[in-house]
Amino acid sequence: MIDEIIFEDVGLSFGGREIFKSVSLKIKAGRVIGIVGQNGAGKSTFLKLAAKIIQPDTGEIKIHDEKFLSRAEILHRIAAVTPEMKIYDDLTAEENLNFFSRLRGKILTAEKIFELGGRVGLDFEIFGRERVKNFSTGMRQRLKFLILLSVDAEILLLDEPTANLDDAGKKIFLAEIKNAAQSGKTVLLATNDKLDAEACDEIIKLPII
Amino acid sequence: MKLSNSRLFEQGAAIFRKDFLIGLRRRASFAAMAMFALTSLAALSLATRGEILEPKILAALLWVVIFFAASAGISGTFDDEETAGTLSTLKLYAAPQAVLFGKMFFTFASLAALIIFLLPIFLVLFDCGVEEIFLLVTTIFFGAVGISSAGTLTAALTTSATVKGGLFPILLFPVTLPIFLPAIRLTEFAFAGGECGAEFLILMAIYDAILITAASILYDYLD
Amino acid sequence: MLKFLVALTAAIIAAIIFFVPPVKGLGDLAKIIFFHVPTAWVSVIAFFTSAFYAAKFLRTGEFSCDELSAKAARLGFIFVLLATISGAIFSKLTWGTFWNWDPRQTTIFVLILIYGAYLTLRAAVSAEKIRAKVSAVYSLLSVLTVPFLVFILPRMYFSLHPEPVLNSAGRPEMDAEILIALIAAVIDATLIFWWLMRKK
Repeated sequence: MIDEIIFEDVGLSFGGREIFKSVSLKIKAGRVIGIVGQNGAGKSTFLKLAAKIIQPDTGEIKIHDEKFLSRAEILHRIAAVTPEMKIYDDLTAEENLNFFSRLRGKILTAEKIFELGGRVGLDFEIFGRERVKNFSTGMRQRLKFLILLSVDAEILLLDEPTANLDDAGKKIFLAEIKNAAQSGKTVLLATNDKLDAEACDEIIKLPII
Repeated sequence: MKLSNSRLFEQGAAIFRKDFLIGLRRRASFAAMAMFALTSLAALSLATRGEILEPKILAALLWVVIFFAASAGISGTFDDEETAGTLSTLKLYAAPQAVLFGKMFFTFASLAALIIFLLPIFLVLFDCGVEEIFLLVTTIFFGAVGISSAGTLTAALTTSATVKGGLFPILLFPVTLPIFLPAIRLTEFAFAGGECGAEFLILMAIYDAILITAASILYDYLD
Repeated sequence: MLKFLVALTAAIIAAIIFFVPPVKGLGDLAKIIFFHVPTAWVSVIAFFTSAFYAAKFLRTGEFSCDELSAKAARLGFIFVLLATISGAIFSKLTWGTFWNWDPRQTTIFVLILIYGAYLTLRAAVSAEKIRAKVSAVYSLLSVLTVPFLVFILPRMYFSLHPEPVLNSAGRPEMDAEILIALIAAVIDATLIFWWLMRKK
C-alpha cells in the first residue's frame, strides 16, 4: 500500500509562467489532503504532479510503498475524478462502469453494481441501460465517482468532485472520501468549496513558492 | 509491480471491444471510410469509362483508393476521444501499450472491413479478373497490417495538432511507401498471373514487423 | 570559419569552371553535377542528423536537441529542393527528360515528402513540449523507410543513374580531375552544412 508521496525541490512552469518553484513537502496516506488556492494557482497541476501523470521541470516526486515506485508501476493504482476527464457518451452507464473496472482487472457482478450505485445515489435499475449522453452533469459526476470507487485504487485524485451536486450528494461523496482515506488510501482533494475544505484533515494552500 | 502481459492483453481487448461498440453506435468513421471508398471508386471508374486498364494501373488505383479511404477513417482514432475528453480518462485507467495495441487492432479490423466492402465493387466496376486469389489476400493482409500500425501511431501524433486538415495523409504516406510499392507490384501479379514475387511478400512482412515494433517503442515517448 | 568557407567554395567553383574537363559529350552546363551530388549528399546527412537529435531529445528531454533536430530538417529541406532541381536539369541534359521516377529520383522525392511532412507537423502543433515530442517521434518513424527505399527500389525498377562513384570493382570509373573536384565539393558542402548548424 502506498504510504507517502514526497515532493523534493519540485519546479514547474507552463508557457513561461512559473507555477511551482522548489516545492518540498510530504503527503501521507490515510488522510484527506485538501488542495486549495485561487483559480490558476495550479491545483489540478499539483494533483497530476503528485501522481506522476506529468513530470516536473526540476526536482523529483517520489511515491513510496515498500520502495520508491516508477511511473509505470503506479499508473494502474491511481483513480481520478476531474472535470477534464470525461466518460463515454455513447456507452450506457453500466458499460462505462464495466469498461473502466475491467481495465483494472475487476469484474463486477450485477449485485455489486447495484450496491455501488446505491452508495452514490445512482439507481442502476433505472439508469443502468441508458446512454450517458442523456445524463445530467450531476449524474455524470456520480457515475465518474462510482467508477473511482469500483476500481479500488490506492491514490485518489479528486478535482472539484462535488461540483454540480446537490447538498445531499455532496454529503454522500464527502463521507465516501473520508471512508476511503480511513482505509489507508492516499486522497488528494482539490477544491474551492467550503464544505469540501471542512472535510479535509489537512490543507495545502497554493501557491507555494 | 508492473502490469503482466496477460493483464495488458485484457486491457487491449477491452479497448478493442469498446471502440467496436462505439464505432457501431456512432457509425461516423465507418460511414466516412465506406463513402470515401465508394466516391473515389466511382470517380475513377467514370473517368476511365470504357478504357481497358492494364493490371499495373489497376493495382495502383486499388491501393490509392485503399490509402485515402483508410486515411479518412483512421485519422480520428485518437482525435474522437480527444474531442470527447475521454482520452485522458482512458490513459489514466489503461496502460499506454494496451491503448496502442487495442486501437491498432481496432484500426486493422476496420480496415479489413473496408477492404472486404471495397474490393468486390472495385473488381466489378473495372471488370478486373483475379488470377491468384491467395496472393491478393496475403498482399492485402500485409498491407493492412502496415497501414494500421503506422496509421495508429500517426493518429496519435496528429491528435495534438491544432491545425489538422489534411495532416494525417501527409504524415502517413511517406512512412507507408515501403509497403505500398511492393503491394502494388504484388497486386499486379495477382491480377495478371505469372511471376510469384515471394521476396516482395517477405519484405512487406519484415517492414510490418519493424513498424509494429517502432510504434510500440515510440508510443511510450508520446505519453 | 566563414572566411575559410567562402574561400574554399570560391576555389572549388573556379576549379570546376576552368580546370575540370567538360563531362563527356554533355557540354559545360552538365557541370551542374558538381552542385547536384553535394546537395543530395547533404540532404541525406541532414536527414540522419535530424533523426539523431530527435533520438537524443527523447532520451534526455533537452530542448536544445529538439531545436537542432528542427534546424537540421529545415536545412535539409532547402538542400533537398536544390538537389532535386539540379538533378532534374542534369537528367534533362543526359537522359532527355526532367523526371522519370528513376529509383533515386523516387528516393529523393520521398525525402522531400518526409521533410515537408515533418515541417508541416511542427507548424501544426503549437504547444512547445508536445511539438518537440511529436516531431521527434515522427522523425524516427520516417528514418525506418530509408533502408527499404534504398534496397527495395533498385531491385524493383531499372535505374538510369550512374553507378556509385566507387563501383563494385573498387576502382573509380571517372577521370581523376572530376573525381577530385567532386569529392572536394562534397566536403565543402558538408562543411557549409556543419557551419550553418552551429550558427545561431
